[in-house]
Amino acid sequence: MQARQMAHPENILDKLIKITIEKLGVKEDEVKANSSFVEDFGADSLDTVQMVAAIEEAFGIEIEDEKVESMVTVEKAVEVIEELLKEKA
Amino acid sequence: MVAKLQVISLCRSLLRAGRKYPDYNIREYTKRRALDGFHMNKNLTDPSKVKEVYAEGKAQLEVVERALKVYLAYPPKTKNIMELKVQ
Repeated sequence: MQARQMAHPENILDKLIKITIEKLGVKEDEVKANSSFVEDFGADSLDTVQMVAAIEEAFGIEIEDEKVESMVTVEKAVEVIEELLKEKA
Repeated sequence: MVAKLQVISLCRSLLRAGRKYPDYNIREYTKRRALDGFHMNKNLTDPSKVKEVYAEGKAQLEVVERALKVYLAYPPKTKNIMELKVQ
């Protein structure tokens, strides 16, 4: 049951939004599906590393460097997380 | 010449290794120290200086990984209060 809940896109999005707010200091209403971490939230490479580390810890996954590069927007990040959770399950 | 991707990969490796420590204090310190180290040196432009601090970072990663083996052999018996969830 918990794994299914974790794999639910809304739960993934909620967690990701929480991480984004915490690590990048943005407001919840500023975070949209097509928001770019770098362009919209001004994240630099270190911010990105921290975000990815937080995501890995929150979801219990390991994200390879190539996949990190594709996590440009919130939507893309959710897709990658979903994919990795499915592989893990 | 050290590439940006190598630096980012080193930072990620340090954070990943640090996450494996069973002791809360060591885990948090490793994370904080790694991020502080990279923040401190993020504006370096001199290639020789970049190479030097990168090599230092790699050496520190080896220390973290080596020490981790010892800490995993002797994990703490109780959780740190900071790890306990508030009811």
